[in-house]
Amino acid sequence: MEAVGREEGGVWRGGRGVARGVPHGGRKAGSASGAGREGGVRGKMAPRKKAGVAAAARGKRGPPAAHLSPASSEDEAPEEVSFGAAREAAEAERKHRELLKEKRRRRQELFVEQKRRKLLPEAVLQELTAEKPEVTFNLIPVPFTKAVYCTMISVKITQGLAEPKGNYTAVRLKDQSLTGLHQQLAKDFLNTQLYGPDTNRVQANEFFSLENKKDPVKKAAVQFVDKSWGQEKKLKAIRFKKRWLSTQM
Amino acid sequence: MPRHPSPGPCSPPLFPPPGRRYAGRWCPPAAPVVRDRAGAAGPLARPFPSPTPGTVPPAPPSPVPLPRAPLPHPPAEPEPPPRSLRISRRDAQSLLPLPVSPPAATSASGCAGRTWGWCAGRSGAGAGARCGMGEFEVHRVRFFGLVPAGVRCLACQPRGGRRLALARTDGAVEVYNFAANYFQEKVIPGHEGRSVEALCWAAEDRLFGAGLGGEITEYDLSRLCVARSVDGGGGPIWSMAANSSGAQLAIGCEDGSVKLFRVVPGGIQFERNLDRRKGRILCLSWHPSDTHIAAGSIDILRVFDVSSGQTVQRIMVNYHVHKVKRECIVWSIAFLSSGTVVTSDSFGRVQFWDWEQGTLSESHTVSTSAVLSLSVSEKEDSIVVGTSTGATYQFQLLPVKMGSLEKRWVRTKPFQHHTHDVRAVAHSSTALISGGLDAQLVIRPLMEKIQKKGYEAALRKFTFPHRCLVSCARKARLLLFQFSQHLELWRLGSTNETGKDGEVLPLCRMPEHLVQLKSKGPEHIYCSCVSPCGSWVAYSTASRFHLYRVQYEGDSVSVKKVPKVPKLLLPAYQLQFSADSGSLFVASARGSVHVLQLLEPGGCKHLHTFRPPSGCPEAVYLLAVSADGHWLAAVSGDWAIHVYNLKCFKHHCTVPTYDCAVTALAIHPVTNNLVISYSDQQLFEFSIPEKQYTAWSRTVQNHGLHKAWLERDSPITHITFNPKNPSHILLHDIYMFCVLDKSLPLPDNSALLMNQSTLKQLPETARQRQLHAFKICKKFQPLLFADLLDENCLVMVERPIVDFKTELPLPIQQKKFGT
Repeated sequence: MEAVGREEGGVWRGGRGVARGVPHGGRKAGSASGAGREGGVRGKMAPRKKAGVAAAARGKRGPPAAHLSPASSEDEAPEEVSFGAAREAAEAERKHRELLKEKRRRRQELFVEQKRRKLLPEAVLQELTAEKPEVTFNLIPVPFTKAVYCTMISVKITQGLAEPKGNYTAVRLKDQSLTGLHQQLAKDFLNTQLYGPDTNRVQANEFFSLENKKDPVKKAAVQFVDKSWGQEKKLKAIRFKKRWLSTQM
Repeated sequence: MPRHPSPGPCSPPLFPPPGRRYAGRWCPPAAPVVRDRAGAAGPLARPFPSPTPGTVPPAPPSPVPLPRAPLPHPPAEPEPPPRSLRISRRDAQSLLPLPVSPPAATSASGCAGRTWGWCAGRSGAGAGARCGMGEFEVHRVRFFGLVPAGVRCLACQPRGGRRLALARTDGAVEVYNFAANYFQEKVIPGHEGRSVEALCWAAEDRLFGAGLGGEITEYDLSRLCVARSVDGGGGPIWSMAANSSGAQLAIGCEDGSVKLFRVVPGGIQFERNLDRRKGRILCLSWHPSDTHIAAGSIDILRVFDVSSGQTVQRIMVNYHVHKVKRECIVWSIAFLSSGTVVTSDSFGRVQFWDWEQGTLSESHTVSTSAVLSLSVSEKEDSIVVGTSTGATYQFQLLPVKMGSLEKRWVRTKPFQHHTHDVRAVAHSSTALISGGLDAQLVIRPLMEKIQKKGYEAALRKFTFPHRCLVSCARKARLLLFQFSQHLELWRLGSTNETGKDGEVLPLCRMPEHLVQLKSKGPEHIYCSCVSPCGSWVAYSTASRFHLYRVQYEGDSVSVKKVPKVPKLLLPAYQLQFSADSGSLFVASARGSVHVLQLLEPGGCKHLHTFRPPSGCPEAVYLLAVSADGHWLAAVSGDWAIHVYNLKCFKHHCTVPTYDCAVTALAIHPVTNNLVISYSDQQLFEFSIPEKQYTAWSRTVQNHGLHKAWLERDSPITHITFNPKNPSHILLHDIYMFCVLDKSLPLPDNSALLMNQSTLKQLPETARQRQLHAFKICKKFQPLLFADLLDENCLVMVERPIVDFKTELPLPIQQKKFGT
């Protein structure tokens, strides 16, 4: 028994889920605990297979049975195992490689395409400067800096422009939500400057309780005034009250 | 084991039920029987000798109702009890305090703390007069959760203009009129996507705003909406300034550019870019000669030459400060004609630079936190700065010695009016004006600039709008609260009990939050109204008008939108239902008022549009309808009051022009007299059928109103009447509620105006000599709305300041010695 356990342990080191169950089942064959029920079953199977029922077991359940044939040869079984799995793995690997290849190829194509189109921005620039009044999509003649143009053009390119030159449409920067982004940045800046970590802000409760402390007329603490505070505690109190009531019944 | 009080059902509640309605009853001291009762109520009504150990007294009130001098800003009332918007009925009932037992009375909060009696009018008043004249059951409503938005920027009209423009953090723009006693005469509600970071007046009286949305907006002050907006083209705009002639605008953008726009009729036109560098331009100022612009950025300030567009000076604000870890934000800048540039920065310094040399000439550290705003008087001898801690300081240019020619800037006066950051200050010719994130606008007059004591000499603090955000359905006992983007409909609670003067009555039904109507889209609400029967609710935003039919079936409420509302000229500035809920009056632009007829299953149709006969460019902002449905009075932005006849749809008459803003008006249900209150605190009564001022009104004008009345600093915002007592006019402002009894003599200046508490202590005979027409109650503050539900039942809507201050952005910690 001892030998079997070791032997199997040696084989099973690779297979994870079952490895734990087998020695366990091997030692206390009868009592398969809830945690390792399957392992228990297999543990029972191991001695049976030793008695020569390996073939039936193999026929019944493919891989486990295959796993459970350490007796025939230690090297063969894993190979057999890896064959089915490895075939699939190899398949996946090949697919992956193909995908990568495809991706690379496409990338390459894109590069080539881009190389071909390298002259485009200048052309566009010229064209745009030529027909400036049409490009002023804002209501007023806003002065476009070069940066603005570049942004526009890059936007067009990323949209996958494959048409011949001249077929451009102007894109409003607003629609690209650049303003929204800028606005958010501006708001964040303001927020950090006014309410950031260095600004020494204090909770309203603390602030006003100080005032209250010095006031000749004492008032309720601010935390009782603002109903949004302590919501959690209040809920907890309600729950507790319910429970308490039910225990009193 | 959670440690918190009240595990059992029978333990007395520490606090009264949230959202409670307080009903108190006041008795006239004139009647002997009732006076006794009132006397007996004294100790009961003031049951706060000392806080009961073990319980937290939520709001001990100030102990004795002393006769108060007419303070412009009376001290804050004791705290209200805590409350939440909803409470289940069962809980509420289990929490109801008993009216008499001391602990319950303690828990019943400071609302009941003080007795306050109405003085009944006549001598020997009988029982009828007793209960009719001075005794009210009051619904004390504190569930209107209005949080006014903070003040973001201020702009005084240049060259002695009489207007102040103010922008709030929610994008709303308001215009205050100095000439009309600082009345808030125009409000342009905000917009979710339109923040305003800078405001300025240009080309005399055109108002421009710019914000982080990156657009320059021109406001139409007669139609109270956005006239047009133009993209600045440089990302979010932080600052904007008009040059001295008002013909050019400079904007400072997020991308570091300063752009010039020319103000042309019908809009603005881009002119040029100045030298662009990295770093957002947070503030801008023109030199008074319009040749240079100073711009403040992060760690740096730059001076541009306007004609060449080049940077001619670049000053590192932090150059001489060693080991600085933080960046220094120049929050505000001013360019003086002497060539001095004044900056205020996030290190709490106000610095004076010589721009040509690029040297620091003076530096004053005024605060440990940032100095956020700065403004210079037109004479350039005084500067006001506002800090993050809520303090404002005045700097004055004073000679170093008596008679010396050398002058220096000296920090002279500190003020602490705000609790939160002061992000905007303005310097008018006679006053320092500051606006904080605590939503307060403070106008602090400079006494040395004021010749005589009058309105101008009073310190003014405005927190709430000068108009009603509440409307009341009297018959259905509903209140409609208007917020910036939603409406709330509440049903008032009710009580079966009666009590003595000053007592808090327990409720048998709690107030109920029936409906919340959320307005779609980013626009804020202009106005709203609920019909007297409670079955119609209407509101308007800048571009849409909505009418809802509300139906009540038992406990459930159903709201149905009325389809196919007639296309009107929007926005509507004021809505008013007729007394029989049969028609709706919509105040519109160009002085016009639309009349809509409400059809029963839930529809409406346009009946008529009233227009003033001589035309008017301004929008109508106040409406009043007579109870019999005969008359409609409308006030437009030029303060002309037109009266229309609703029976034959004709213009009836115009009230003689009085050169001051109308703050409230109402038509008497019995006599059809139009009572008008103006922002200079004058009261007029105009008889509509006779088309002339009434005799009483003439008496008032001849006699003159009491000095203390005229020196009040907040306008009357609502007028109502008591149908059972035709001689009574009920009016209120933020700080007081007044019953004006026309049958009594007017007070002289020597008499005490607020004499109610004194009268109570006088014997009967002496009291008769002291009686006068104004019966003023200051118990309810700040009072946003008051109305008479029926002959002896009032509703008062309060919004205690502390309630919303806790919901504002966080304040700066202030170290106090010994705490």
